[in-house]
Amino acid sequence: MALPHMLPENASEQVKRISRNICMGVALALLAISTWAAATSFSDLAWKSLDFGDFELKNSPVSLIPQIGVSWHVGADALSLPMIWLTALVVPLSMLVEWDAKKGHYFHPLLLVMEGAMIGVFVSLDLFVFYVFWEMTLIPMFFLILVWGGEDRRYAAMKFFIYTFTASVLMLIGILVMYFNTGSSLSERTFDMLVMLESGDSMTEGLRHLVWFLLLIGFATKMPSVPVHTWLPDAHVQAPTAGSMILAGVMLKMGAYGFLRVAVTAFPGSTVVFTPLLVALGMASLAYGAWVCMGQSNLKRMVAYSSVSHMGLIFLGIATMQPLGIAGALFMMFAHGIISPLLFAVAGAFKHHYHTLEIGSMRGIAHHSPWLAGHMMLGWMASLGLPLMAGFVAEVAVLIAFWMTFGWWVMVPALTLIITAVYYLTSMQRTIFESNDPHEGQMPDTLHHEPRDITWHENAGMIILGALTILFGILPFFFWDMMSHWSTEVMTDLLTEAMQSEGVRP
Amino acid sequence: MGGTGNEYRLLMPLIPALLIVPVLALAGFESVEVAFLIVLAPLVSFPIILISGQLYNGNKTWKHSLKEGGVIALSALLVSLTTASWIVIDYIRGAREITKDASGRTAASWWDWISFDVLLSDYSLSSERVIGVGVWIDSVTLMLLFVATFLCFLICWFSLGYMNTDPINENRNHRFYAEFVLFAMGMFGMVLADNFLWLFIFWEIMGLCSYLLIGFYFWKESAAYAAKKAFLTTRVGDVFLMVGLLILYDIYGSLEFSVIFEDPSIGGTVDSDKLFWALIMLFIGAVGKSAQFPLHVWLPDAMEGPTPVSALIHAATMVNAGLYLVARMVPFVDIGGNGVAGLDDLGLIVAYIGGITAFMAASIAFVQNDIKKVLAYSTMSQLAYIFTGLGVSLWFYNHGKTDAATLVFGGSMFHLFNHAMAKGMLFMASGSVIHEVHHAHDHLHEGDDGHDHHDFDPQDMRNMGGLASKMPVTSAAMLIGSMSIIGIPLIGGFWSKEAIVAKTWKASLDYEPLMMGPAILVLLTAGMTGFYMSRMWLMTFAGEPKHQVIEHVHESTPWIKEPLLILSVISALGGFGLSVLGIVKWLAKPYNYDLGINEQSVIEQVIYELEHAFLPDDPNLRIVGWTTIFLSLVIGPIFAARVHGGGLADGQRANPLISWIATLSGKFGSQDVTEMSQSSLSEALQNRLYFDHYYELALSKTVIPLAALAAWFDKRVVDGIIRRVESNSVLGSVQIRRITTGRASDYILMAAIGALSIFALAWGVSG
Repeated sequence: MALPHMLPENASEQVKRISRNICMGVALALLAISTWAAATSFSDLAWKSLDFGDFELKNSPVSLIPQIGVSWHVGADALSLPMIWLTALVVPLSMLVEWDAKKGHYFHPLLLVMEGAMIGVFVSLDLFVFYVFWEMTLIPMFFLILVWGGEDRRYAAMKFFIYTFTASVLMLIGILVMYFNTGSSLSERTFDMLVMLESGDSMTEGLRHLVWFLLLIGFATKMPSVPVHTWLPDAHVQAPTAGSMILAGVMLKMGAYGFLRVAVTAFPGSTVVFTPLLVALGMASLAYGAWVCMGQSNLKRMVAYSSVSHMGLIFLGIATMQPLGIAGALFMMFAHGIISPLLFAVAGAFKHHYHTLEIGSMRGIAHHSPWLAGHMMLGWMASLGLPLMAGFVAEVAVLIAFWMTFGWWVMVPALTLIITAVYYLTSMQRTIFESNDPHEGQMPDTLHHEPRDITWHENAGMIILGALTILFGILPFFFWDMMSHWSTEVMTDLLTEAMQSEGVRP
Repeated sequence: MGGTGNEYRLLMPLIPALLIVPVLALAGFESVEVAFLIVLAPLVSFPIILISGQLYNGNKTWKHSLKEGGVIALSALLVSLTTASWIVIDYIRGAREITKDASGRTAASWWDWISFDVLLSDYSLSSERVIGVGVWIDSVTLMLLFVATFLCFLICWFSLGYMNTDPINENRNHRFYAEFVLFAMGMFGMVLADNFLWLFIFWEIMGLCSYLLIGFYFWKESAAYAAKKAFLTTRVGDVFLMVGLLILYDIYGSLEFSVIFEDPSIGGTVDSDKLFWALIMLFIGAVGKSAQFPLHVWLPDAMEGPTPVSALIHAATMVNAGLYLVARMVPFVDIGGNGVAGLDDLGLIVAYIGGITAFMAASIAFVQNDIKKVLAYSTMSQLAYIFTGLGVSLWFYNHGKTDAATLVFGGSMFHLFNHAMAKGMLFMASGSVIHEVHHAHDHLHEGDDGHDHHDFDPQDMRNMGGLASKMPVTSAAMLIGSMSIIGIPLIGGFWSKEAIVAKTWKASLDYEPLMMGPAILVLLTAGMTGFYMSRMWLMTFAGEPKHQVIEHVHESTPWIKEPLLILSVISALGGFGLSVLGIVKWLAKPYNYDLGINEQSVIEQVIYELEHAFLPDDPNLRIVGWTTIFLSLVIGPIFAARVHGGGLADGQRANPLISWIATLSGKFGSQDVTEMSQSSLSEALQNRLYFDHYYELALSKTVIPLAALAAWFDKRVVDGIIRRVESNSVLGSVQIRRITTGRASDYILMAAIGALSIFALAWGVSG
């Protein structure tokens, strides 16, 4: 889906410019295609009669490695389509924000490789191909951090790589166990997802739980969930802005996507049995993540931990075992996918123009960078769950469902909302406000030139993200409807049955 | 900075805005159909003002003809005002096109926000449920809608003078106007919303705007701090409110007013404990928003915002949101309708919170020297009156005393109206004072290098005095506003406050002894209101000037006087006039079953109202009524006069209607309160009874160390374990060395080897 552009190191300016235009062109073309795909589905009433497994857009499988049953089988349904659109949106925007990146003729193609791999993850209907794409996303991100990262990039890149790689190896074991249960001989076995997801039926209960656990570890590390989240802050702090935007905006969603696509769908029984574990993980991520956020002094680190905190809501949403909660979790993935790139774009702009990320090393930046301050305000408010922005829709849906299932436990996530507000407001107060001078801000020591506002391309990227955040907050039904239908179908077909057999009441 | 008459030509752009409604009416639209315009106009103008302001900052046309967006904001608010008035008029006329249900409500749906299914406990899926957006109109809505649109318009008008003539705001006003219209959008939306969720959504938008506008002078440490404090304190309430909504949703399967209010008891099957907790949670939200004890600490600090903001958000509109929410609780408890019995504790709690806040805020207002802080505490105290009234009304409703409940409900809502008008005006008048004093000071020290600037506080009443002769319009407006707040007989707030106090006493004497607490507190507060409001007026306008700056004050800024004049008339005459027209019963109309709307002639009605206010049938209430009047009219003001009163300086002339009061205030002798002001009680009051202190102490001892601990734990323990594993494992070190070569081929090879070995391993596991 994407071609890396191999160009000599000393390429002329002209070539560089052409290269990035080509990259943007490809990315925009992908955005156009996925928007078209999404838009035709909005108006398609067939969503309502969608059966699980009956993918809307899919090809007929083409065998790749017939010996072990690997085939090229791709498709999109209501679970993956919003994610595909999100990927196609975030990548060109991250290119736009880092339009003037150093060594851009390497940088922008790498982003395209990322995009290809991530879309691959979302469209694969063959678990082997899924896993290959899953690991393929690591490579460009690894280089993005290693080459364009901050001071400590070497350590961060390695940590990011080894950590997530180790976790996905466990996931691979799980996938392989599923594979060996699809048939008794090599010729019968297949990696085709639609077949493999039925393979749980032929396993013993213990094995099912074991595989579910292996998958959970792999996916929860990607999400990431407490306690396997510590790769995220390091990776984010060192990653370049565009890398952070993609990492937070899309890559984290792969974890939740995979969990729903593979673990929940193949092992609904285990999911129902281990609901308390999901709640515990979700609450821990949410509340603990928020507390850790409050103790951070690095802007990007704080935003990174806030991602951990928000991802906790996804587990809570799934654990409610209510269509509303699952749809809320899906919408959270989508909303966080728009909001967090905005947050990282803002944090990156601080790094870019003020050369520091220390909260408190500067004051009154709003005097000099009104656009930056405006975007910060919008992004921060969106992330703390202010209504009329996308994040609130997800939050309120998850919480309504959570009360229905767990009652007063809802106080934990609800009170966390206050803590979220505390750290966001405090970080704004200590960067863009409070200079005690009506015309001048207090500059950080790292700034050796006149303070300036963000560039036009950063501004454009942030405006688009901000506008979409508000659009989906006021009119969420574009993607909400298909998510809601998907979660309803999952409930009717899979989870309800599992709940009945496990004796769990809604 | 002198104002010129031809500033008003700037109002030309308002003409098209004014024409929109007549054109729509002629085109055959119905008023409810276009209700969305009320919200849409400010919503659309928000980005226009903000972005044009950012792009054309400093441009001459933008600055002088468009007033940095002020004129655009005013046009948008005019559209809202005219549309709202159209609906009000249509509704009152009972126009055919407004379809009403039995209790006089109108609802219309705009769009579906989210739709979903619910898994029921028998494992079946419910039919599709929808949370939509729409309008809900009844008399309470209309009253608040009118108050909000009217005051937004007037205060925006006022801001054209107040904000644009202050050099510190230059090139920043677009931010003010943009946030102002966004706030207006939130307020209008909240009032119109037809379900609890959208009420909450707009409620939060108002919270955001309150935050932004308190922090308008963001570079000031105190302003940034106050903004954060306001947002977080109300956020605490909001989170509880949200939990309340979750419970309500669980009970009713909907948050729409039309569904819930149809039958709040669901045929008598509702779990009243659960409902009680839901309503308590909603009430905590209301407490936060309306700055009631114990979440009141943010409101006084919120005065850091520009004065128009204090007038609009923190006096006249947003703080009423909590009252509106409590007013919406009536159907739940109204056992005359379909309400749920056994919720009378809710009424008691509301009344107690109201009584305590009223008393506490009034006592703190005694010692404030900042003119805006006095008004802030007064706001808190008056809102608490309304809470008390609503609490009593909820209690009455829950005991089936519908007549009494209806009267005190209508009275409370009427007090909301009177208070909003008077307090909005008082804040604008105080803004006028501050603005002119500030200018005079700047004028006086024009040549200085400005080091003296920071020592002089234009809001401190100890720097004022004798302003009655310098600012005739402002001093008259302030006098009328204060009289309305105090409840001087026949003026404004008297009519509604009287109803609240009397009915609270009635509840405590005739039915529920526990109501005695709020009853005594509101009665005492009436006298205290008389004291602190008189004190404020006397310190500012009477006596001799206490600072040389006062000599140079002129009432000259344009755009400021008109709103004061209009609101003076409404505050002075509105209370009586509307009482005569039967507003109390009209406001209670949605929850009113037998009380007919007045059919007597005007004269009869005037006599009835006077008799009802001064000579009620019940002898106990007669005593209560006259005690209230005595305390607020005589005791409070006379004590204030003894401490702070005094005639104007020789040779200073003021409007005879006003100088008469100043002169009279000097006749009561003077009382030395130095000793009293050094007592520990006074010190405690000056420190706001230490609430802020202890809240902050508690937070700094818990939240901050805990956050630091969490950060440490994450870095050292959670991540530390990983690091240890990583550095000790042979695999890790091999990989590290390999990867640092930085070549992708090495990595891909390794990944392949790893994958193959895992493949083999998994084969073994499953085989």
